[in-house]
Amino acid sequence: MKNEITLQTRREFLRRTVLGSSLAWTVPAFLANTFSALQSEAEGSALQTPTGKDATILVVLQMAGGNDGINTVVPYANDYYHKARPIIGLKEDKILKLNDQIGLHGAMTGFKSLYDAGQLSIIQGVGYPNPNRSHFRSTEIWQTASDADRVEKHGWIGRYFDAACPGADPTVGVVIGNQLPESFFAATLKGIVFNNPQNYRFMANGPAAEESYKKLNELEMSSPLPDDNSGGSIAMLPAGMPMTGGRAVDFISRTALDAQHSSDEVRAIAAKVPNQAEYPPSQFANSLKMVAKLIGGGLPTRIYYVSQGGYDTHTNQLASQQRLLGDLADSVKAFTTDLKAQGNLGRVLVMTFSEFGRRVSENANGGTDHGAAAPMFVIGDKVKAGLLGQYPRLAPADLYQGDVKYNVDFRSVYAGVLEHWLKTKSAPILGKQFTPLPVV
Amino acid sequence: MLKPLSSDRWNYATAAHLLNRAGFGGTPAEIQKLCDLGLDGAVAQLLDYEYTHDPATDPDWANSNYDEIRKLREAIKNAATPDEKKKLQQEREQVIQRRILDLRGWWLRRMTYGPRPFQEKMTLFWHGHFATSVEKVRNPYFMWRQNELFRQNAVGNWQELLTAAGKDPAMLVWLDQAQSRKLHPNENFAREVMELFALGEGHYTEHDITEAARALTGWSLDLDTEQFMYRPFIHDRGEKTIFGHTGNYDGDDVIALIVEQPQAARFITAKIWNYFAGSEPSPELANALAANFRANGNNIKPFLHVLFRSEEFYSPDIIRNQVKSPVQWLVGSVRVLECELPPPLVCFGALRQLGQDLFAPPNVKGWDGGITWITTNTLLMRYNDAQALVEGHLPPLTASDFARKEGGAGGQKAMKALQRVRMGGVDVEKILTPEQRAGKATIVAALEHRLFQTTLKSDQEQTLREFLDSKTKMTNADIVTAIRLMMSTPEYQVT
Repeated sequence: MKNEITLQTRREFLRRTVLGSSLAWTVPAFLANTFSALQSEAEGSALQTPTGKDATILVVLQMAGGNDGINTVVPYANDYYHKARPIIGLKEDKILKLNDQIGLHGAMTGFKSLYDAGQLSIIQGVGYPNPNRSHFRSTEIWQTASDADRVEKHGWIGRYFDAACPGADPTVGVVIGNQLPESFFAATLKGIVFNNPQNYRFMANGPAAEESYKKLNELEMSSPLPDDNSGGSIAMLPAGMPMTGGRAVDFISRTALDAQHSSDEVRAIAAKVPNQAEYPPSQFANSLKMVAKLIGGGLPTRIYYVSQGGYDTHTNQLASQQRLLGDLADSVKAFTTDLKAQGNLGRVLVMTFSEFGRRVSENANGGTDHGAAAPMFVIGDKVKAGLLGQYPRLAPADLYQGDVKYNVDFRSVYAGVLEHWLKTKSAPILGKQFTPLPVV
Repeated sequence: MLKPLSSDRWNYATAAHLLNRAGFGGTPAEIQKLCDLGLDGAVAQLLDYEYTHDPATDPDWANSNYDEIRKLREAIKNAATPDEKKKLQQEREQVIQRRILDLRGWWLRRMTYGPRPFQEKMTLFWHGHFATSVEKVRNPYFMWRQNELFRQNAVGNWQELLTAAGKDPAMLVWLDQAQSRKLHPNENFAREVMELFALGEGHYTEHDITEAARALTGWSLDLDTEQFMYRPFIHDRGEKTIFGHTGNYDGDDVIALIVEQPQAARFITAKIWNYFAGSEPSPELANALAANFRANGNNIKPFLHVLFRSEEFYSPDIIRNQVKSPVQWLVGSVRVLECELPPPLVCFGALRQLGQDLFAPPNVKGWDGGITWITTNTLLMRYNDAQALVEGHLPPLTASDFARKEGGAGGQKAMKALQRVRMGGVDVEKILTPEQRAGKATIVAALEHRLFQTTLKSDQEQTLREFLDSKTKMTNADIVTAIRLMMSTPEYQVT
């Protein structure tokens, strides 16, 4: 009887969908999730429904390639440091002193001013047991928050979405880049990815093509319900199989709607929201400018993800690290200025990470090779500013195979961010309980 | 389980399914030809490829006697000044980049135009399975050798392939086996061969790994001959206990012990099923697949003969329910549209954006595949790349898409090279007969038949007809845009 049912409105379709449940798969996530969130009883304290406008936001900055932490937070008064690095060791007059032992790399004036303003926390000696010196493997360990000897399928951010944001809009995670980082891998994938808002759209040659694209990718509300495979208007394979019966195409249809929806939204915000700070002219700064616009435009995002590459400094490190750290510090400083002008700085926390630090001793090419522990930076209005953890010991006897030993597990930092900033239980996400580092 | 498909279900649609999955799809004529052979004939035509001559030749640099990179390595070692050393290192980097790009193009051409699509499809499976990346191996010659190894052993004996893959130079570098010694055994390969290549997590103990790593010591690489070398003096000759068996095992024994595990057949057959069918097998089906594999002496080809003729492979929830990988999307599109494969740099840029950089999988697990191919970004990229492919101009790439280690300058350089590139695009008169071009309905129907081997939803068809109607005088360019629109649908992303 209901085979030829025709639903008049999108609203009616959605109402039926929600009541009849299982069809949520074919509804765009941003709609279905809203409904299911409304329906779901608030079970368990790990569950939260982010609302966007006033929720806290985390911005993850990846320093890809393995940043040399020792020349970033510099132990300028330590003799072992200068002995190990006769060529690339930074002299006292080249650094921005934090105390009588350590200082920031001279290019990081942006970070120094944040530090002085009580908006920068430096976590020293962050790493993990049995460090791996492969870029791939160590990146994977940081992205999945796994032990060094375990391979995890899902990333720590993806597990956060799975555990804490079940009813969220797909824009709950935003990656500025080409690919979804492994940290976003999840049981239920969430997050939109784009590089350049100008390219994040369907490129149509003409309005007719544009309109056709939208229709072809729309859920046709006048069609029979998708689980109704006896209706004549559902395409049949010659052998009698409904073309839309499978789950793959339904998932893609939903993603297509998410893409269309977020593309319009992202481009509208990009065009509308101004940046209110001077950023350096770099690609990394452009990414942060975009993030600032999206925050200002009120996208309901909890986690933004931005990468800066080039830290694999095996040769002639001084010049390249100078450029990269300067770009990082200036861009982040501008980003905080921008957010402050918007009135959003109070709800944004920035956290940096790199897959590993580098060897204590310089190599023969004016560079450094893959190492282990390194500092992390956390930036925001509410951070526990100053130096956290201990600076790793540099005496040769205190090193392990030429590397400094970690004294803060990076997962304690994640735990601190999850519990104290994103306000969710960290153990279900990180697989076990790490002592949350009080970063805020 | 694994009943043969009844002959009345063999038709154009099922023949298309076979060609899409066991190969990279094809034109209506190619599908019809396969259909006419009958199920057994069609499967034999694809799988028994040794009877089909493949005229492909090796890349001209793929020869260890002529190895610029090796000479450069020596020169770098003996460089007189740091500046000279740096210059030589840059030169080596350029040679590596150039060759790996050449290799990518070489392989894509074989997939697209070669007479043995199934062999290439299987080679692609092994590349994803033994996921080895040039980013660490840094040697295009090794990557090519590994690719040839997979091609030559594509459907042979599992134990032989697993052993050969372990002794392959690229693998010896990739998983550090070449550096493993009696005094410092490196567990990397020992762990991955159990976890990712042959058994899966939970089917071995940490102790098995430690002991296997000891047994594998001695498997090494001679950098001068660029060949596998067994070095007895770094091999641990002591007794090892692996899976409860004790003996003075070596690397070959480790592989034999692994393949003897009952789990081994289940693991590899489930993974092969997933690759071709696009879903996890049910427990019953997994048992049936493993039993069949064992009955065939762990030989892959007879097992696949059964798989591709089974009713299960042609079940409704298998057909048109697999997300095309970026390579399948690209190669398949070129094949069905009978257009030209874009130049290597363009293919590389597109595949990289879409998430499948050949010879550079993201990690040793390989590509996750399935729905993870699709993000909001990659879906829009597919839609936009479709425009580039059919119209013959470049996709909307930015310099940053090409900015690799060398940073912005390299990206700019690649962009400039790309701006000179011209591609063919789709020739409407080649793929549609004059009768088919006569009206909107026949155009849409013929293109659906070609691109999907079935029909779209009725309102999608309606939208396409309306698009063509909106043109006062319909031109070939409008038909090309219609093709692009059909490729810009969720339905085109599955096969």
